[in-house]
Amino acid sequence: MLTHYMDLGWRSIRKTPVLSALMVMAISIGIGITLISLNVFQLMSHNPAGERSSVLHMTQLWSQGPDSWEEYSANLTYQDTMNLRQSDIPVRSVASFRSGGAIHAEGSDAEPEMRSIRVTDSEFFAMFSVPFLYGGSWDKSVDMEAAHVVVINEDLNRTFLGGGNNVGKIIYLDVTPYQIVGIIDHWMPRPKYYDVTNGSMNFAESIYVPFSLTPHEEFPVWGNTSGWQFEPLITYNDRLLSEKTWIQFWAELPDEDAQMQFSQWLTSYVEQQQALGRFTDNTRTSWMRLLDVAEYLTDSEVVPEDNRIMIGLSALFLAVCLVNILGLLLTKFLKRAPEVGVRRAIGASRRQIFLQHMVEVSLIGLLGGVIGLVWAWFGLTTLADHLGMEEALGRLDPSMWIMTPSIALGAAMLAGMYPAWVICRTQPSVYLKSQ
Amino acid sequence: MLSMKKINKVFKTDLVETHALRDFDLQVEEGEFVAVTGPSGSGKTTFLNIAGLLEGFTQGEYTLDGVNVSRLNDNQAARIRNEKIGFIFQGFNLIPDLNLAENVEVPLRYRGFNSAERKRRVEQALEQVGLGARMKHLPSQLSGGQQQRVAIARALAGEPRFLLADEPTGNLDSLMARQVMELLEEINRNGTTIIMVTHDPELARRAQRNIQIVDGQVCDFTLYQGGDEPQAARA
Repeated sequence: MLTHYMDLGWRSIRKTPVLSALMVMAISIGIGITLISLNVFQLMSHNPAGERSSVLHMTQLWSQGPDSWEEYSANLTYQDTMNLRQSDIPVRSVASFRSGGAIHAEGSDAEPEMRSIRVTDSEFFAMFSVPFLYGGSWDKSVDMEAAHVVVINEDLNRTFLGGGNNVGKIIYLDVTPYQIVGIIDHWMPRPKYYDVTNGSMNFAESIYVPFSLTPHEEFPVWGNTSGWQFEPLITYNDRLLSEKTWIQFWAELPDEDAQMQFSQWLTSYVEQQQALGRFTDNTRTSWMRLLDVAEYLTDSEVVPEDNRIMIGLSALFLAVCLVNILGLLLTKFLKRAPEVGVRRAIGASRRQIFLQHMVEVSLIGLLGGVIGLVWAWFGLTTLADHLGMEEALGRLDPSMWIMTPSIALGAAMLAGMYPAWVICRTQPSVYLKSQ
Repeated sequence: MLSMKKINKVFKTDLVETHALRDFDLQVEEGEFVAVTGPSGSGKTTFLNIAGLLEGFTQGEYTLDGVNVSRLNDNQAARIRNEKIGFIFQGFNLIPDLNLAENVEVPLRYRGFNSAERKRRVEQALEQVGLGARMKHLPSQLSGGQQQRVAIARALAGEPRFLLADEPTGNLDSLMARQVMELLEEINRNGTTIIMVTHDPELARRAQRNIQIVDGQVCDFTLYQGGDEPQAARA
């Protein structure tokens, strides 16, 4: 009977092409907009750390004085960072900040390019599961004894060195030569969870240099630098010695024991610093916190409130579309009342009439869903082009291929339920004479 | 076959109560061909709707084929309509988007017959009304008489115990009306009970029994036995 109802539904859709097209368009636009919002929301609320989310901890300190900031700074001062790097409790620990400079290579036809750089420690790659194509990270000793070594990504390798295994070759950052020790494969975590302070949806950097070079090379800071008191930064050293916060510090703490130990270590570190006249906000009982990746993303409001409002608005728009569809379906179905009267007279039960019409509605919903997918794809591609986020937004999340027909079907059935119920209650005797 | 006792049907509005049928009694035996006549508004259609379980009634008792059908729910009524009753309407009431075979097939689908059984019955019914060669035609491609034959085929395909015909020749010219009437007579000779509402006294005379309804009550029986002259009559 289901195939028969589908056949009848399809005939009915073809019989009233304009009305059917209106309904399909209404549902497809509603679904398309909902999908775009959901996809953006899903992208932003995705936790790319996966299973390692609970192991990686962003370390934050309340280093500000009283009556200043009301929240933890996402970043640490250079002096705190250098001190925290001394702890051997974390399995791995990584300091990093975003910098940038002009990149070029000898003998390359490519023009020098300004690129963003991540200044970080050797364990960055292992900690954030960065895949290598060639070579690997620099030696751990470089984290203490600075050396001009660099890890670049495949895109940069292709642009300036023509691709392939170029480990050992030299690339220039501004005027300083760096020896390539590793080339990473395509890696684009979204959100960029290791540092959301510089745009959670920005690209991962294409160049990675040792953090230990910071005082020597005086890398410019391309990220946020925050201060809670007036401190003139005349020299780079002023920055290094200041209370300005600008460095992210991640610790890999595999279990609760390690987390507790590191918390205790941090507490005693703060006490030492207080003895030295720092961490002066005595209104607090705790001056440190460890956030795992999920907590960090939530705390950083990676999914902005606007995005949630957008989801609500798109759901509202879908609801408006559904109300329109409800009206159109009611018109369409009531026009068919004489035929339904005949069907009822010759033996159709109300349930059978209801099912027949719900199947038709489902077909309209499915058609709307398919076209809605096209709208969503078009919308996301346009949005991705506009925002320069082709990689992240330029394709539909795989779950949407299942969610879309489900939402479209559910929405259409919701809208069709009342018209189908009205028509199935048709009193056959009313129409048999008049037809 | 059909027994109605003290059937009352009252239509109520805020201001008016209308008695469409009042203490309506009727007994129809198996194999009868009964014509129902009466002036407009006398209650003929209401009677037919109640007889066909298309409408309920206010009071009384209705037994159809030995089953008390006075108080059935929608599903039960639909099932009995499908299995025991065939309908023929003045306006044919074919579904315009379906071809002849599909139109005849509709009640058989609701009955749950498999494809082979449906095909057999559709072919047989359309052959019986002389339209076996036009199964794929749409109703709009047929004359009025042919459309009514399709409607009869649809009613017959389910092999009902009785046929209810509401002005079956009302929209046909005299030649086609005669052909349809001959078809109904043939069906009746094969054992199907027929109740036919008509305004046409000529057609009514061809039935075995005439019932006249006036003001919602049976007021006259006229019995014909094969000829045109009434054999007995009673008020």
